[in-house]
Amino acid sequence: MTLSLFDQFLSPVVCWIPLVAIAIILPWILFPSPTTRWLNNRSLTSQNWFLSQATSQIFLPINPPGHKWALLLSSLLIFLTTMNTAGLLPYTFTPTSQLSINMGLAGALWMGVVILGMRTQPTHSLGHLLPEGAPALLTPILVIIETISLFIRPIALGVRLTANLTAGHLLIQLTSTATLAMLTIMPVTAIFTGILLFLLALLEAAVALIQAYVFVLLLSLYLQENV
Amino acid sequence: MPQLIPTPWLALLIFSWTIFSAIVLPKMLKHSFPDNPTPRSKQDLHKNKWDWSWH
Repeated sequence: MTLSLFDQFLSPVVCWIPLVAIAIILPWILFPSPTTRWLNNRSLTSQNWFLSQATSQIFLPINPPGHKWALLLSSLLIFLTTMNTAGLLPYTFTPTSQLSINMGLAGALWMGVVILGMRTQPTHSLGHLLPEGAPALLTPILVIIETISLFIRPIALGVRLTANLTAGHLLIQLTSTATLAMLTIMPVTAIFTGILLFLLALLEAAVALIQAYVFVLLLSLYLQENV
Repeated sequence: MPQLIPTPWLALLIFSWTIFSAIVLPKMLKHSFPDNPTPRSKQDLHKNKWDWSWH
């Protein structure tokens, strides 16, 4: 029974078309390319406003040399929020519930910030392995622990997003199956489960946005450490 | 768990990065953020008077 519940995360192929391709390409129709006109339509203006607000929020605590990453991290935020929220629609496939996509993004970007830090300011980057104000006796253990935590970061980043979205979708599938099954037998319980389903859907919408933001926020923190 | 099936792993990874670099990055790059317009003060009107300098 559990295996068949996870089947919704199998990368679906319909008529030899992998639906992941459609799920990743199609949402960008909702984001028109800005024109060279001074005034754009409402959707473009609101997207522009949101992009500028999000970028300034993320990059406020980062030193000026790190501002070169503005395009990458803000596009990543838009990418993840779009993928997550589009996956909440029925019968769609959520690309960000796949470990491959999330690990690809997390690993590559984490490695980018670490290599940047090691190349431009190696002493400063390595200094993060020993937090300030720690007792001198604990130095060897602390360095080992901090190194392990450094290398766990990409895995944590990718798996966090995957697990959150997978768990959310799984819960929605479970409660909807339960509601439907109980509708004829125990209608009152089915109504309560339906209310739970509604609340879960709201939670999943919030989780979709929050998890994307957390992903980008953590990457910006790792960038701030290394730049 | 279907996320651990190795067959589409590399294809999904490369495909998502390709679409990200080819579609999302250029789209976000085209967004421009002009400065907010500053209100005109009354003194500016009196500073640069029009003088018919070629007569």
